[in-house]
Amino acid sequence: MTATLTTPAVLAEGHRTPRQLRWLLRLHRPAALAWTAFVLLTGAALLWLGGPLTDAAAQAWKAYNACAFGSRCSYDQDAILTYKDTYTYTTFAVLGAPFLVAAWAGAALTGRELESGTVRLAWTQAVSPVRWLAARLAFPALLITVSTGLLAWLHRRAWTAGDGRIDTAKPWHDVATFYAGGVVPVALALAGLALGALAGLLLRRSLPALAATVLGVGALWAAVHTAMPYLWPTVTKVSGLGEGPQGDGFIAGEGVITAGGDRVAAPCTSIFNQGCKAELTELKAVSFYRDYHPVSHTWPLNLVASGILLLLTALLVVTALRLVRRRTA
Amino acid sequence: MTEPAIEAAALAKRFGRRRDAWALRDCSFRVPAGRVCAVVGPNGAGKSTLLALAAGLLVPTEGTVTVLGTDPAAARPRIGFVDQDKPLYPQLTVAETLRMGADLNPGRWDAGTAHDVVAAGSLDPGKRIRALSGGQRTRVALALALGKRPELLLLDEPMADLDPLARHDLMGVLMGQAAAHGTTIVMSSHVVAELEDSCDHLLLLGGGRVRLAGEIDEVLAAHTRLSAPAGTTLAPHRVVETRTTGRQLSALIRPAGPLPGDWRTCAPSLEELLLSYLRNPEAPSSADTTTEAAA
Repeated sequence: MTATLTTPAVLAEGHRTPRQLRWLLRLHRPAALAWTAFVLLTGAALLWLGGPLTDAAAQAWKAYNACAFGSRCSYDQDAILTYKDTYTYTTFAVLGAPFLVAAWAGAALTGRELESGTVRLAWTQAVSPVRWLAARLAFPALLITVSTGLLAWLHRRAWTAGDGRIDTAKPWHDVATFYAGGVVPVALALAGLALGALAGLLLRRSLPALAATVLGVGALWAAVHTAMPYLWPTVTKVSGLGEGPQGDGFIAGEGVITAGGDRVAAPCTSIFNQGCKAELTELKAVSFYRDYHPVSHTWPLNLVASGILLLLTALLVVTALRLVRRRTA
Repeated sequence: MTEPAIEAAALAKRFGRRRDAWALRDCSFRVPAGRVCAVVGPNGAGKSTLLALAAGLLVPTEGTVTVLGTDPAAARPRIGFVDQDKPLYPQLTVAETLRMGADLNPGRWDAGTAHDVVAAGSLDPGKRIRALSGGQRTRVALALALGKRPELLLLDEPMADLDPLARHDLMGVLMGQAAAHGTTIVMSSHVVAELEDSCDHLLLLGGGRVRLAGEIDEVLAAHTRLSAPAGTTLAPHRVVETRTTGRQLSALIRPAGPLPGDWRTCAPSLEELLLSYLRNPEAPSSADTTTEAAA
């Protein structure tokens, strides 16, 4: 990581452009080291999860399923439990990445400099305040995109390896699994970076900016999650009353279709229950329906959600740059 | 000395939206290039705001400020600025701070000067900024500003937390710099004594306005301290301050013409002059006449 950050030696003699990146990295060295450790550890855990752990757990499930009912059974339960724990921890680590970025960006990127006054030092060197902020956004953005993207890709890889082989593996539409293995964490992390820079400039203090940014990213995620079912046209599956509502995936809505063709909310979903059957008959229900997103919508949903987040990020960046330009000469 | 180092025209700065939140109002003055200019005034007079405007850290609400013949943004590489609080990155060492100065000011950095300023304070270059005393931090901040080899050096209360020895020493460094490179130095200060020897230009601020501006010699020459019998009419002269003790009236005035022979007069010291103005915020502002004189 550090190798890519050092400005080429060619610039050392007679260069005219201020070397900002070197000092950006120097000033945020503890954060950069912590982030590198986080990415390496999570990445290594995901590689382990997708390789040896998945194989061991799949083997254990095979052994378990081969056990005849009631007979003495021998299978590697530890492998299954380790897989499950590691999957949970790594998933939360990937989902936590945007919040780590948000906390750092809010606290340290601009807020701390405004609070301690070092911004007055930075803005009176030969670097204009706008360029100063642009460097503070562009370089971390690149790093965050690459590292968060890598983690999400490794998560997806690990999940795919276990899909269909491990009986307790999470389905694709499990909320944590869906987000951790997609591009939303990358977009959220970038939004956190931009939000952090703006919050620091507006609040001028480290701690409030940190809190505002972390809460902001949480709110953004909640908003994206709420909107998620409507970000792509759903597929509707109609099923007989005897079958109950059918269709596996992200559910946007379900109910019954009446004899008149109207869609109404289902009071219950099983005609094998006498009370339920009576209610459905009274509604003149003829079938169940379900609007949902099948697995093929994984990427369209991911891309639309990330697109919206990136658009918002761009707005935040423009606002922050304009703010600095308006405040300073 | 063709173009002034700083030229302000109807310069005003308001913080927030409140009508009475003007930090500076209607400031017009010139600081000629090559001068060592003292910016004097009580707390809240607008000294820091004025310096921040010249450094391009703030933008004026009204009016303009021209620095080194251009706008503060374009002049940024040629301006050195030291803030009142001497902000430095606490996690860097002294040597790293200076290296940062070199990297952020390419093509201008004078490593020798920066190094000399730090070395004169026998500072360990490997020491972290957070471990330095207030005076040592001031020294590093000055080294950083001087290393830029600025054409204009803006210093906000530079000597406030220095002991007399370090103060004398750093003033010597500054004056040496000004003499060697023709650097214009504009510094705000509370300490009149430190200005008297080193500054040749004066900008007195009060209540966000320019009260007095010009060459110190000319400003002093334009004022007279006098004593006369109580009840004497001082018109048409402009009165800065009067005090009556018993049958004696003493005053500091700007004579508008020849003075009567029976008044005992003498030239005021810079300290007396400044104190008189600071004690009397309502005294007539003489900025207009002296700016012309300075130009």
